[in-house]
Amino acid sequence: MNTGNNVRMGPFELCDPVAQAMARTQRNGGQQFPGKLFVVEGIDGSGKSTQLSLLHKWLESKGYGVVFSTWNSSPLVKDTTKLGKKKKMLTPATFSLIHATDFADRIERSILPLLKAGAVVLCDRYVYTAFARDVARGMDRQWVRELYEFAMKPTVAFYFRVPLETAIGRLVTARDGFKFYEAGLDIGLSDDPTESFRLFQGRILQEYEKMIPEFGLTVIDATLPVEVQQAEVRQIAKTHLDRAKDLRVRP
Amino acid sequence: MRKTYGKQLPGMQLADLAGKLIVVEGTDGAGRTTQINLLKTWLEEQGHAVLDTGMTRSPLAGEGIRRAKEGNNLGRVTQSLFYATDFVDRLENEIAPALRAGFVVLTDRYIYSLMARAIVRGMDEAWIRSIYSVALVPDAVIYLRIGVDELIPRVIFSRGFDYWESGMDVFPGPDMYENFRSYQTALLAEFDKLSVEYRFETVDASADVKTVFAELQKKVMRILEGDSRKEYVSKRYEEMVEGALARPPEAQARDASSKDLEWWLHTAAARQAANGDGRNVA
Repeated sequence: MNTGNNVRMGPFELCDPVAQAMARTQRNGGQQFPGKLFVVEGIDGSGKSTQLSLLHKWLESKGYGVVFSTWNSSPLVKDTTKLGKKKKMLTPATFSLIHATDFADRIERSILPLLKAGAVVLCDRYVYTAFARDVARGMDRQWVRELYEFAMKPTVAFYFRVPLETAIGRLVTARDGFKFYEAGLDIGLSDDPTESFRLFQGRILQEYEKMIPEFGLTVIDATLPVEVQQAEVRQIAKTHLDRAKDLRVRP
Repeated sequence: MRKTYGKQLPGMQLADLAGKLIVVEGTDGAGRTTQINLLKTWLEEQGHAVLDTGMTRSPLAGEGIRRAKEGNNLGRVTQSLFYATDFVDRLENEIAPALRAGFVVLTDRYIYSLMARAIVRGMDEAWIRSIYSVALVPDAVIYLRIGVDELIPRVIFSRGFDYWESGMDVFPGPDMYENFRSYQTALLAEFDKLSVEYRFETVDASADVKTVFAELQKKVMRILEGDSRKEYVSKRYEEMVEGALARPPEAQARDASSKDLEWWLHTAAARQAANGDGRNVA
C-alpha cells in the first residue's frame, strides 16, 4: 500500500474519503476526527470476537459512547451477499466486491458519521480481513488494497495471532462442519471441507503475517489466557483514549 | 489477443475470448436501448449469435441495487461498488462465456458510464479506474452523443424526470429540472473526456432513429469485417457443401432426412444456379 501519493489508508488518520476525493489537490490535509476506531483481526478461532466483546463491556462501564459494527452486516447489501453465498454464485472477484460494498455502506452511513461525532467505534474485522481472504482466493494484492482506499486507518488494529492448529482445534469443538465459502471450497483446494478449510486458512494466515509490518498491526498473542490478552488490549486502548479530546460520553 | 485495462481476474483466459465485444455508451435518453434492439435483430438475421447485456441485469446484484435505490440511504461509495459488483458478475458469467463461444456481445453501457457517474459524484478518479482495470477492452465503443437541450424534450415526453437521472443525490437544490440540467451537463463533460481517453466512436444521437442506426450498422460492419472467424466459417461452409455434393445420389437421399443438410443442398443448388455452374444437383 505504501506505493504512492494516492494512498489513503496510510497517510491520513480517520479522514473523510468523500471529502478527500473532492479535495484531491489538498491531499496532505487529512482531516482528523475526534472519534476513535479500534478493530480486531485474525483467522476464525483466534478469539478476536471474545476479546472485542470484553473491550466493549469495559469501555461502556467507563462511560464512553461505544458503537459496535460487524463484518457483513449492512442492511442494504447483506441480502445480496446471502443470495450469492446460498446459490454459490460468487467468484473471487464478486466475493471481493460485494464485501467491499457492504463495508462501504457501513463506513458511509455509520462508522464515518460516528467518528465525526466523537464516538468510540469497534469493528469485528476490517479491511485486513478482505485483504487476507481475497488474496488467498487469487485476487491481485494491489487491486484489493486500492479497492478499499476509501477506508480510514483505524486508531489501533489488533491482530490476534494464533497457530492454525490451535484455531482449528477451537473451531472443531465449537461447531459442526464448515460453510462453503468459509472453507474456501469455491477455489477447489480440496474436496474435503476440513482439509480445504485448513489449506485456505493457512493461506489467510500467511497474508496476515505479511500485513503486520505493512499496516503496523498490533499483534496480540492469542494463545495466552483470555484475561492476559484482554489486559493488554485494554492497556493499549487506554493510552489512545486518555489522550483523546472531544469524545462522547454516554448520556 | 483480447486485453484488459491492466489487471486480469483469476480464471479469465484472455486467449479464448474470440467473439466481438461492442459497447454502446451514452447518457440517459440517448437512444441506446432502441439502437441495441435494432442491431441485435440485424446481426441475428446475418447469422451472428448475439448476447445483449446492460447495467443492473446481473442475477447477483441487479435486484439488490434496485432495492437500494428505492430508499433514501444509498451512499456514493456504496453505490459505485454495488454497480461494480453487478458489472463484474456479468463480465465473468455472461460476457466472457459469450465471447468464448464466439458471440457478438452488445452491451448497453460499460465501465465508462459507471466511471462517469462515480466521478460526477466526487469519487476519486484513480480509485474508480483501478477497480475497472479488470474490465476487458472492447472491440469498439460507440458513443451516442446528445446535448442536454436535445435530451430534455425526449425525457419530458417519455418517462419524465427520474430521481437518479436528475442527480438529486448529487446537487443540493430541490428543483428536479435544474438538477437534471446540471447533472446531465456534468455527465456529458465527463463522457467527452472519456471519449478521448478510450477512443470512443462518436455518433450524433440527435438525428432520427434510422439515420443513427445506419451509422451504427456501418461501424459494426467494419468491426465484423476484421473478423478472422468469417473466413474460417465460409471456408468450412464450402467444404461441407462440396462434401455433400461429392456423395452418390443414394447417400444424398439418406442425408436428405437431415433437415440441416437439406437446407445446405437447397442453398447450394441455388448458389450453383446463380453462378451459372452447369453441375447437376438433384
